[in-house]
Amino acid sequence: MKRIYIHPVPVRIWHWIHAIGIVLLVITGFQIRFAQHIHLMDLSTATTVHNWIGIIVIIDFALWFLFYTFTGKIRVYFPSMEEMIKGTIRQAIFYGYKIFKGAPRPYPVTAENKFNPLQKLAYLAIMFILVPIQLLTGLLLWKVEELKNIVDFLGGIKTIDTVHVLLFFFFVAFIIAHIYLGTLGHTPLSDYKAMITGWEEEPEEHQ
Amino acid sequence: MKGQRWKWLLVAWMSLSLIFIFPLYLHAVENSECLDCHGDPEMVKELPNGKTISLYVNPKKFEASVHGQNGIACTDCHSDIEELNYEKEVPHPVPVASVDCTDCHDEEGTAYEESVHAKARAKGIKDAPTCATCHQYHYTPYLAAYTVREKEDLFCLKCHNPMLSHKWLTQKDTHFAHVDCSLCHAKTKGMTNLRLYNPLTMKFIPGGEIVKAFGTSYEGFLGVLDANKNRQLENEELNAITDKLNRKGFNAAFYGEMVAESAPEVHKISKDAIRKCNTCHSPQSPYLRSVNLILTKSNGKVSSYKVEKAALSSFTTSKFYLLNATKVKWVDIIGFILILGGVCFAGGHFFIRIITIPIRRKREG
Repeated sequence: MKRIYIHPVPVRIWHWIHAIGIVLLVITGFQIRFAQHIHLMDLSTATTVHNWIGIIVIIDFALWFLFYTFTGKIRVYFPSMEEMIKGTIRQAIFYGYKIFKGAPRPYPVTAENKFNPLQKLAYLAIMFILVPIQLLTGLLLWKVEELKNIVDFLGGIKTIDTVHVLLFFFFVAFIIAHIYLGTLGHTPLSDYKAMITGWEEEPEEHQ
Repeated sequence: MKGQRWKWLLVAWMSLSLIFIFPLYLHAVENSECLDCHGDPEMVKELPNGKTISLYVNPKKFEASVHGQNGIACTDCHSDIEELNYEKEVPHPVPVASVDCTDCHDEEGTAYEESVHAKARAKGIKDAPTCATCHQYHYTPYLAAYTVREKEDLFCLKCHNPMLSHKWLTQKDTHFAHVDCSLCHAKTKGMTNLRLYNPLTMKFIPGGEIVKAFGTSYEGFLGVLDANKNRQLENEELNAITDKLNRKGFNAAFYGEMVAESAPEVHKISKDAIRKCNTCHSPQSPYLRSVNLILTKSNGKVSSYKVEKAALSSFTTSKFYLLNATKVKWVDIIGFILILGGVCFAGGHFFIRIITIPIRRKREG
């Protein structure tokens, strides 16, 4: 068994702040969207908490972006052309079939390359497109009257809200998949441990 | 013959009465007589402390006011002035008695008496508002065409800064811009009104320009648009309005507001306001029972057309969204499918993982 240090301290702190933030945003988000069916808290409290957590997540996102950009680690999010096409297919076949046979992972974790091609593609779309859109639409909805001109220019409050809510549902679905896929490491808990200690366990034969 | 004579006498008596009594009414003080003096912008009254107050009444502004438009004479309100005596320096009693608006507006007066404003006044707070504080003395405007913001500027914001209170309320700006204060503070019946505006310039499109674009009148407007003749505007019919206006060079969109019904109760302003979010933020909100499109006229009046509530839950009204109450239904359906997809993926994969354990055990040997 080999141990590889893949998640430095700032990344881990960022990830868990983000995780707690997103869970709270999801809970308050459901409360806001389905106020007449869910009664965890009143709408005003839910909105206030949602807004403040949103601000924390925006700051957290900015820290993530700055850390990854200035350390050059941001490269791990960009798949090569080969990875983008063949790699994602290979990884998908692994997840969808080979994993059940106990085949070795096609893209084992290394210190420089911690994501497989599917992860890269998913995280690239999420961290560089979907999360920024979600944060931006969230900001617009937070200050909807002050930013009325921008909101109206982008199609109006209902359009902005629809984008925000559809992405919200997507993120909920993604989190379910994300939590599950986290159990597909070397052992069901190895990826979780890595996200806490920073060290990923990798079977020797893959290195 | 005797009976006939009595009839003639009766007719003669009535005629004489008309000849002598009717002129007394005719001789009631005319507005023009008042404006002979009060129409002079220079007309002031000097107070004992040396300061002066203007006694000028702008004839045109009065004419445009609710009272002017309804032919109310100066002496209908200043009823202590029964005649003018030009032999005196001031031809009427000085000072004139204060006007009692409740002589005509008695229901409004009763509602006001139960308001926080009347209670403050009873406590001796001199600045507490009376009728004219909000409605002005001589230039009482028609309020139907006023936006929520315009009404607030004219009324509540003169004394109150709502940002300093309402600590519990989120999205203060949005609420203050789109909801009448009195809707929550007088707990009146209310409605949702749509009007047409240009979102780029943030200007409302005058009703006159809208009906002109449709080649019709305010009365004919509904007939032109109401394709299915059910006397209300549905989503497609609203869409047709903005489509046509945009083809004619307008940049039109629907602007939504939740307003209090114009009824006497609106004066019963209380500190104890509606605080339950779900009163409005629910599809069952009582303020969604009446939805209207209003076209504003230059005299401050409006023409109002009934709109089907479902039109608020579409992208035709994309610039107006009452959280939860007017959401677009298919968005939640897509959301449900997305989440179900996530659950099925994780659950399905996990299930196959469990049932394939023997295969992997065998391989590991």
